[in-house]
Amino acid sequence: MRAGEGIDRLAAMAIPITPPEFDPALIARYDVAGPRYTSYPTAPQFKAEFDEAALREVIRASNEEPIPRPLSLYVHVPFCMSPCFYCGCNRVITRDVTQADRYLERLYREVELIAPLFDRDRPVRQLHFGGGTPNFLDAAHMGELLESLARHFSFSHAADREYGIEIDPRFADGAYIRNLGELGFNRISVGIQDFDPLVQKAVNRIQSFEQTREVIEAARASGFRSASVDLIYGLPLQSVEGFSRTLDQVVALNPDRVAVYGYAHLPEMFKAQRQIDATDLPDAATRLALFGRALEHLSAAGYVYIGMDHFARASDELVLAQRAGTLQRNFQGYSTHGDCDIVGLGVSAIGRIGDSYSQNARDLIGYYAALDAGRLPLMRGLQLDEDDLIRRELINELMCHGTLDKRAFGARHRLLFDEYFVRERQRLVPLIEDGLVVESPREIRVTSRGRLLLRIIAMCFDAYLDDAAQAPRYSRVI
Amino acid sequence: MQSKPMAGRLPEPRSPMADDGDETRFCGTCAFSSACIAAGYDKPELAELQCLVEHVGPFRAGEHIFRTGDPFRAIFAVRAGTVKTRMVDKEGREQVLGFYLPGEVIGLNAIYPEHFPCDAVALDTAYFCRFSFPAMSALASRIPAVQQHLFRMLSKELGTASLLAGDHSADERVAAFLLDLAGRYAVRGFSGTRFHLSMSRGDIANYLRLAAETVSRVLSRFRSQKLIEIEGRELELLNPKKLREIGQALLPE
Repeated sequence: MRAGEGIDRLAAMAIPITPPEFDPALIARYDVAGPRYTSYPTAPQFKAEFDEAALREVIRASNEEPIPRPLSLYVHVPFCMSPCFYCGCNRVITRDVTQADRYLERLYREVELIAPLFDRDRPVRQLHFGGGTPNFLDAAHMGELLESLARHFSFSHAADREYGIEIDPRFADGAYIRNLGELGFNRISVGIQDFDPLVQKAVNRIQSFEQTREVIEAARASGFRSASVDLIYGLPLQSVEGFSRTLDQVVALNPDRVAVYGYAHLPEMFKAQRQIDATDLPDAATRLALFGRALEHLSAAGYVYIGMDHFARASDELVLAQRAGTLQRNFQGYSTHGDCDIVGLGVSAIGRIGDSYSQNARDLIGYYAALDAGRLPLMRGLQLDEDDLIRRELINELMCHGTLDKRAFGARHRLLFDEYFVRERQRLVPLIEDGLVVESPREIRVTSRGRLLLRIIAMCFDAYLDDAAQAPRYSRVI
Repeated sequence: MQSKPMAGRLPEPRSPMADDGDETRFCGTCAFSSACIAAGYDKPELAELQCLVEHVGPFRAGEHIFRTGDPFRAIFAVRAGTVKTRMVDKEGREQVLGFYLPGEVIGLNAIYPEHFPCDAVALDTAYFCRFSFPAMSALASRIPAVQQHLFRMLSKELGTASLLAGDHSADERVAAFLLDLAGRYAVRGFSGTRFHLSMSRGDIANYLRLAAETVSRVLSRFRSQKLIEIEGRELELLNPKKLREIGQALLPE
């Protein structure tokens, strides 16, 4: 960072949020693979050269800032009781609950190794348990894990702390959720995907509306401040009628946030997906109609489209942050706590500390071996250079706020925007012709037509995408 | 490998780097130029006087410019970067004595003992002018203005201790520290309201005899009171007047 950089970040000016325009023909034309930009550079750019010494140095430097950033802990629980066939996550299918003991033993070791590297006056403002299925851990294990984290890190007691957990309602009841509330969790994210029984059977995830409601109501009753749900469109046997009924049921559950992800069928990469009969998948037109239905239905029910896969109630912090120009991308999608250093704990977890990313070993064997040898289980990472930082901020602005003041951005990073991004602006030309983006001497602005194609727009500014080899590793953009 | 485009980059802003001199001209921030020029001496004539001014560096963050006990042969004017001076006691505890910015001189406290009584450590990439001290004192004996300048620098060096003296609150110390830095940057023609804090919070805390958490807590409070803006190590003084009121007990009139 150089003098003044970032300080005059778009002050609290209100940014109007353009509602997206749904044009199936346009979207179909841009139906190509693309990264989700939960990080920039994206994970395929992380390198093994970023080793334990580099990570320790990055953490040391982060402690020495005048006001060290608060911490955000991500804890990965990789186990699932049963395989959902659509899943592309890093997980291990088992019903052997003793696996949890073996895993937690190593996770505690990781916590003991990494926590002391952070100064104790850095509060954990955000905690997120993801998976796999975090509720694979029973109440006793969960209590023990929280206790370990609270002992080695400094948990925030501020009212605005966000301690969230992903829950599979098939394996949790009201009592379990109340216990999580007592442990300090205040946000819950519930997987639904689709309530249509035919679809549930085809993806091997039978989950009733009642199970789901029990979990969400228990969360509300025990003081959780926010409940979000995940849906997936593009699943086998999905129909617009069936998905409409699901959306009705979702609205009845009254979640604060809804994520509607597009299913990416990549059976050569994700073994579980080979269980899906490709002939059952909806065709491209139906896929789009499903998303269009979700957009229409959720908007009518009072939800605001944030961007990418995310919707939130108009009063939700995400919407307020987007209007205030302070929204950020993070690994869970969008976040209002972009000023935290993220510590990734557990197998395959990704951290973001200072100007670096780091990822743990992606399989249990490597993760266990490193910790058994007393080493941090780091597999790869990246120290961002100045160009990376410039592009990360640019992509963040476009994906979060849909508008970029070229002059202010150029001044902040000491660059002549139009010259520095000559190639990128050439790549934008067809998008401008299609009306996804407008460019003036002053700004780049995503139009209502472009709002559903943010990834395509962001890809124009990705310096690593010339490398064609990256393409098949990403899911389709919508 | 992708190529990182460099077209369209604007030149670096005038950073706190005093490196605009050459064979015949002084650097803008030279610790001695005003004294010498006032006395009618320009750089070529100084060279004739065999006053050896040698450019040294770069020193990387953490490298020593000199160590405690090293024989005293020269003083060093900072051309670019930031330096801390410190002592380490028998138990290995560090005591930060001061921070030096471009245009400022380190090593003056070694004149009498004839060995360095402290370490000087670069906090970021640092460059120096090394003034051979035997030559320097020879020059001072010929040019009264140079001698006066040396005395002035020495007394200023003694004066900086007053920032720490007495029983003052953390708010007073931190406010005075920020304003002291701002003033020193401003005197040398750099921005006195926006600058980079090269020193770690540990070093700031040690220097101000405060806990690191306290320094951060006070800075956070100043930020929420809109007295400063801070992002990473980039600092902006939004309300220097109010900060001066807070730190006034420790600041010169």
